[in-house]
Amino acid sequence: MTELSDELLVAYVDGQLVREQTRAVDKVLEHDDVIARRVEALKDAHGRFESAFEAILAGEMIEILAVPMLPPRVKRKRGNGLAKIGIAVVGIGVALAALVGGYGWPLVLRACSVGMTGSVATMQSAPPKAQSAPSAR
Amino acid sequence: MLPRLKRFADVLVGEKREGKALLRRALLRMLADHHRYQRGTPLDRWAFTEIYRLWLAELRDHADPLRQAKASEEDFDRLFPTDRGADFDAFTATFLGQLPPQQRSTLLLVYGEGFDYEDAARVLDSNADTIQARLIRASASLADRLSSGSPARVQASATIETLYPVEATGIRP
Repeated sequence: MTELSDELLVAYVDGQLVREQTRAVDKVLEHDDVIARRVEALKDAHGRFESAFEAILAGEMIEILAVPMLPPRVKRKRGNGLAKIGIAVVGIGVALAALVGGYGWPLVLRACSVGMTGSVATMQSAPPKAQSAPSAR
Repeated sequence: MLPRLKRFADVLVGEKREGKALLRRALLRMLADHHRYQRGTPLDRWAFTEIYRLWLAELRDHADPLRQAKASEEDFDRLFPTDRGADFDAFTATFLGQLPPQQRSTLLLVYGEGFDYEDAARVLDSNADTIQARLIRASASLADRLSSGSPARVQASATIETLYPVEATGIRP
């Protein structure tokens, strides 16, 4: 039996090995049933982790989409200060507005509704995009 | 991106309510410190990093940080949707709930977000070797437990690393 460590096999399963190493492990798997079974077990574990995290993300999506957003009241003017603030700050603002409004803080929501209407309007058009890109993969 | 950030905060804390509060504080801090944002940095990576740093800083200030870092299995279980299909993997959910926060977060970044080891290390203020060690430990442990049919009761050593970096303690999860 060939001795291959879990360290190497996990890196193999995760696709972190360079091509030559991957080929070498592939060759071992062709004739070593013990190693092959271990790789299958690690692949199974890998797949279960992925599925578990997808399930959590699905729960987050359901939670956010279940909360109704406020209708837009004021049209955002083009060329306002957002361009100066930058894309990063806008993204954070939108996320924060959705967090505060979308997870049920009614008092804060009413207080912020005037100032954040533009951001909320952005969030209303965002769900289809968010659904289509649940992860970085 | 918000659901992904929320998931990261929830998984790190191990609980929904505290996760939401952590995310809110982190986003507020990012808004206040937006001048620290470096152009070209992916926003999600910056946000993950800020969430993690804030969590760690607050944990260190806590009177009993080791106890504070532990989430109950019941709380962690609530991270999963209530409407669970027949294919829901309760075994793995329980296993994840028993892991220390940093190990859970590592698994999330690599297997949930698709980060490579280096990117995950940057988010978690660590290095690729430590990330790999966490993945090996968790993957091998789950594989072993699946073959034995018993969810893991994971050692608490990695929780210590939560507060004191590997470089300082020599402990590697």
